[in-house]
Amino acid sequence: MEKQLLTLTVNGQPYELYINPKTLLVEVIRDHIGLTGTKRGCSTVSCGSCTVMLNGVAVKSCSILAMQAEGAQVTTIEGLEKNGELAPIQKAFIDHGAFQCGFCTSGMIMSAQAFLDENSNPTEWEIREGIEGNICRCTGYNSIVRAIDATAKGEYK
Amino acid sequence: MDNNKYSVINTHVHNIDGFAKVTGRATYTFDVTLPNMLYGKILRSPHPHAKILKIDYSKALEFPGVVGVVTGKEDTLGVKQGIWRRYQDLCDEQVLTVDKVRYIGEPVAAVAALTEDIAEQALDLIEVDYEVLPAVYEPMEGIKKEAPEIHEGFERNINVTRHIEWGDTDAAFEEAEYVREDWFKVGGQHHVSMETRAAVSDYTPDGKLTIYHSNQSPYYLQALMAGVLGMREGDIRVISRYVGGAFGGKFELDGAIFCSAVLSKKLNRPVKIIYTREEDFIASKRRTPMFYYVRTGVKKDGTFLAREAKVFTNGGAYTGMGATALYLTGFFHSFPYRWRGYRFDGYRVYTNTLPSTSMRGFGAPQAMFTSEQQIEWIAADLGLDPIEMRRKNSHYPGYEVPGQATIGSCGIDQCYDEIQKWIKDKGTLPDNRAIGISACGFMTGGIFNWFDTPYAFSAAMVTINQDGTVELHVGAQDMGQGSNTTLAIICAETLGVKMEDIKLHASDTDHCPPDLGAWGSRQTLMTGNAVKMAAEDAKKQLLEFAYAHAHIVSKTGLNIVYDLDIKDRWVHNVARPERGVDYSELVRIALRGKEGQKIVGRGFYTPHRKGMISPAYSYMLQGVEVEIDEETGKIRLIDSLTAHDCGQPINHLGLIGQLEGAFSMAAGYGYLEYMPFEDGMLMNPNLVDYHMIRATEMPPTAVAEIDTYEPEGPYGAKEAGEGLTNPTAAAIGNAIFHRFGVQMKENPIRPEMILNALKEKKEQEKAGKKK
Amino acid sequence: MIHDFTYLKPSSLKEALTMLEEHKDECKVICGGQSLLIIMRQGLLVTDYLVDIKHIKELDYIQFDAKAGLKIGATTTHHTIETSDVIKKNYPILVAMENKLASIQVRNWGTIGGNLAHADPSGDPCPVLMALNANIKVGSAQGERTMALEDFSVDFFETALEEGEVVLEVQVPTLEAKTGAAYQKFNLLESDQGMVAVAAAVTLNGGGTCKDARVVLGNAGPKPIRVKKIEELLIGKAYNEKLFAEAGAIASQDCEPVSDIHASEEHRRHLLGVLTKRMLKQAWEQAKG
Repeated sequence: MEKQLLTLTVNGQPYELYINPKTLLVEVIRDHIGLTGTKRGCSTVSCGSCTVMLNGVAVKSCSILAMQAEGAQVTTIEGLEKNGELAPIQKAFIDHGAFQCGFCTSGMIMSAQAFLDENSNPTEWEIREGIEGNICRCTGYNSIVRAIDATAKGEYK
Repeated sequence: MDNNKYSVINTHVHNIDGFAKVTGRATYTFDVTLPNMLYGKILRSPHPHAKILKIDYSKALEFPGVVGVVTGKEDTLGVKQGIWRRYQDLCDEQVLTVDKVRYIGEPVAAVAALTEDIAEQALDLIEVDYEVLPAVYEPMEGIKKEAPEIHEGFERNINVTRHIEWGDTDAAFEEAEYVREDWFKVGGQHHVSMETRAAVSDYTPDGKLTIYHSNQSPYYLQALMAGVLGMREGDIRVISRYVGGAFGGKFELDGAIFCSAVLSKKLNRPVKIIYTREEDFIASKRRTPMFYYVRTGVKKDGTFLAREAKVFTNGGAYTGMGATALYLTGFFHSFPYRWRGYRFDGYRVYTNTLPSTSMRGFGAPQAMFTSEQQIEWIAADLGLDPIEMRRKNSHYPGYEVPGQATIGSCGIDQCYDEIQKWIKDKGTLPDNRAIGISACGFMTGGIFNWFDTPYAFSAAMVTINQDGTVELHVGAQDMGQGSNTTLAIICAETLGVKMEDIKLHASDTDHCPPDLGAWGSRQTLMTGNAVKMAAEDAKKQLLEFAYAHAHIVSKTGLNIVYDLDIKDRWVHNVARPERGVDYSELVRIALRGKEGQKIVGRGFYTPHRKGMISPAYSYMLQGVEVEIDEETGKIRLIDSLTAHDCGQPINHLGLIGQLEGAFSMAAGYGYLEYMPFEDGMLMNPNLVDYHMIRATEMPPTAVAEIDTYEPEGPYGAKEAGEGLTNPTAAAIGNAIFHRFGVQMKENPIRPEMILNALKEKKEQEKAGKKK
Repeated sequence: MIHDFTYLKPSSLKEALTMLEEHKDECKVICGGQSLLIIMRQGLLVTDYLVDIKHIKELDYIQFDAKAGLKIGATTTHHTIETSDVIKKNYPILVAMENKLASIQVRNWGTIGGNLAHADPSGDPCPVLMALNANIKVGSAQGERTMALEDFSVDFFETALEEGEVVLEVQVPTLEAKTGAAYQKFNLLESDQGMVAVAAAVTLNGGGTCKDARVVLGNAGPKPIRVKKIEELLIGKAYNEKLFAEAGAIASQDCEPVSDIHASEEHRRHLLGVLTKRMLKQAWEQAKG
């Protein structure tokens, strides 16, 4: 199969890749570029552990053809920290113990960050709906909700 | 419990793996790539029971990009292995099977290729000739005389039997003024770890094997792999640095680790195998489904006298950890109460379905679903208060479960107070809501050496560097429950240093001591004791130099009646804490005193003379407020409180996380996570049709911590996190009972079942029959 | 495993339709791909050419006119619909429905056109739009045609789209005054598809009797079912809870739900009856104002 050119920006850096067009965005991120923070946990667009931001909105990278990210700005978990300084949401997750095994955490934080970018003053129910697309088998979610709520309230800089 | 007396224990300590996990730096087996690596895929049996006559993979080998194929017959020693190594007849699983398949999805062959896609395509080119055999799927079918034999030598497919008895049960029943018997059908459940099974095996021609594998016990996997490959343990290295969830399903050999190792050994290249989510559902193992018969005899005033249980479990195709689950379900079925006469008979039956094994709770969730509901019904039958009835029959500190265990600390009584208060404060509930409660108790690590290890159950090493930083080596495994942090906390507190001084080493058999690993909620107590011992050893060695050092003696104003201790990096006179020297000063002195050798403290722990089951027991009572729609049967969880006795909490954030997480899994067991099979095939092997709680379903999960001190545990600690998986299904069932008066004898409890029960009740009432 | 295909990215609608005409049955259209990629991964769909229309801006729009009603372009995402002020104001039921559709990530990339073209019987938009009497416009290189949405879904995952055709636009007429609409699906988890679902729309006369009613059942058969008998039952009548219960009884009979691992046919019929009763009541009370 003839490879096609894909150019996109990931975490602020430009990439030029030749890929089989059936390649999924998550495969470009993990296998071609080598950013393994983004995970995969299912094949039915259910678990959300592959969540990244594409042009500022949360998407499940396992269900997007990489070619559809042509010219797009993609942000993965690795792109949240700036010069070694963690983003407020990351600090909140640490401070609230909002993770356990950590496998869902990358996707969960990206969902949370995208959610807060759009809704900076959410109710508890809105937060729960905001991460409804992300499964966590370990935490029972309540610590995650607390961390997102605290971040929304500006408790972390 | 005075929290202030500790510097680190039970304070707001951050998880030491947090930074790696929230920044995407944590590398799971899922993420590992090695140079020259191949990708493996497994060919699985489409039949529940069949003989393998012939495997022809010649076409697969010709497919471009395929490097090798392995089968059980040609490429393995055919060793029947199992985790219950002490009993050879329970070691019944080859993993990559040789002659026969016993469940749909069992590995039959494995391919390694340049890409995952190529490996997957190659699977279609492998031709297998099967002789299909008749199959059974239910234990009550499997024990029939005419049922097909699944494992040679196991008559009527009875895999394991267990008998637990104390007192004179029949006499106790004679004395009873009220007897009740019920039958229950308790379901299975899947672990659904977010990281599916994965392994990267790297065999090199010099006879060494390195394996990256996400598991609960690197030591177990090292020893098991040595057994099946005919290698020395010391030539095998297992690395399990970050584990994406396990919940009891990842301390046995699985197809990923075994097939990748066999391929790697044949091809002398690293091979990576990752299960798809579907494979993970159909070809790992699951919680044991059970048929429970329960008969209970009490006095009219609610005194418990006699309990008898007969249980048939669906063992699936292989033993796994099923023998333990069978015993523990029978043991915890008696908890947390005193019985004058108790008798349990359990039968584990092989069937041609997904093997059953351990899953968080280990047989106790099944036991509680039956026991705690029946007790609620008995209270209602007799017109007694369900909490007071439980209270008067409960365990107490020092109680001896005859022939089985001596209870150390026990805070169940205070648990009743907390839940009573909670219920009272709630007042009258809206019409469509009700509260259900469930008590339970659980083990803190297991005593029985079924793995047949010659090693201490846990070990630890503390090494002090010249700058005062500390290397802590443990064999305990963090699978998300936070043991890395908990053990670092114990080390820091004992040694008298800060959390940031500790560097923890775990999850690598090359560098860490053997440890039985993370199961049965054992590590805080067992490895914690080992860590405490090692840190105390290191501290003692340090302090020996302090006592002998004139300068320090003078600074601290020592005389023979005074002690030195270290706290917050301050070596001080305990009686006069302001008099001391800096810890780093003492470290340098000690290093010189030991001729430049680092101080190394060692510790270990194996329970001795602690009964048959466990050195300590946690206790809890949980209340759940449930809303049930009478017309649709839909359940909504509104609120919950768990009164919980885990002795001294060590890892505060970890404890809350364990409680909340256990609730979500336990609630799923109560009303969501059904695993329907049809002719041996799991019908919902995906995350669309297998329902798990998400953020929108979780109610508040408050905790009331009960203050007790467990003498057997480090700083008085005992388990937290597995026991909490036990009560919720029963609590939900009891809420439904209080709302509608219907008795739900099967779980998960689904809307259709509730409506059917309501319909049946209406019809019975119409017909004039009572109850 | 997804099978290889040649990827085509038209930059305009015209170009896309030309490609569809050229490649005929050897090509498939992808937009958001939230449903398509799953079935491609399972090997259930193999195609030589994949025509990607995700970035065709001319199909990404929301237009509202008090007379002509609402027009939504096919490549408009669920998220755009969910957050549209004009839709929130004039068709709040659509916002409510989108809010419950799958999860945020899926709504951010999936589109209304793709959803309707996929024709999943458990899809949320179709029954709701049918209850609002929506039309759908499709087109090919030969031209465009518009049909009632209720004629668009034909069977399980099958629509009235002919070879070379693609969904262009969804059209919802202006709602009359004193109209209420309600939608609910029955699921165990908030984020699940509905085991069954009911959409109801009621329009009242000045005197408070029913002028028009529409009940559409979701996941009650191979395609959404508009229960005409209920309309006949309600038109001209006054508010009466017994009537809603009777409507529920009709709904539970007038459908072909399946039995599967999630619910038996009997239970689905029962749920459809309960939901119909509740949604009618809700829609009616909303219409009263």
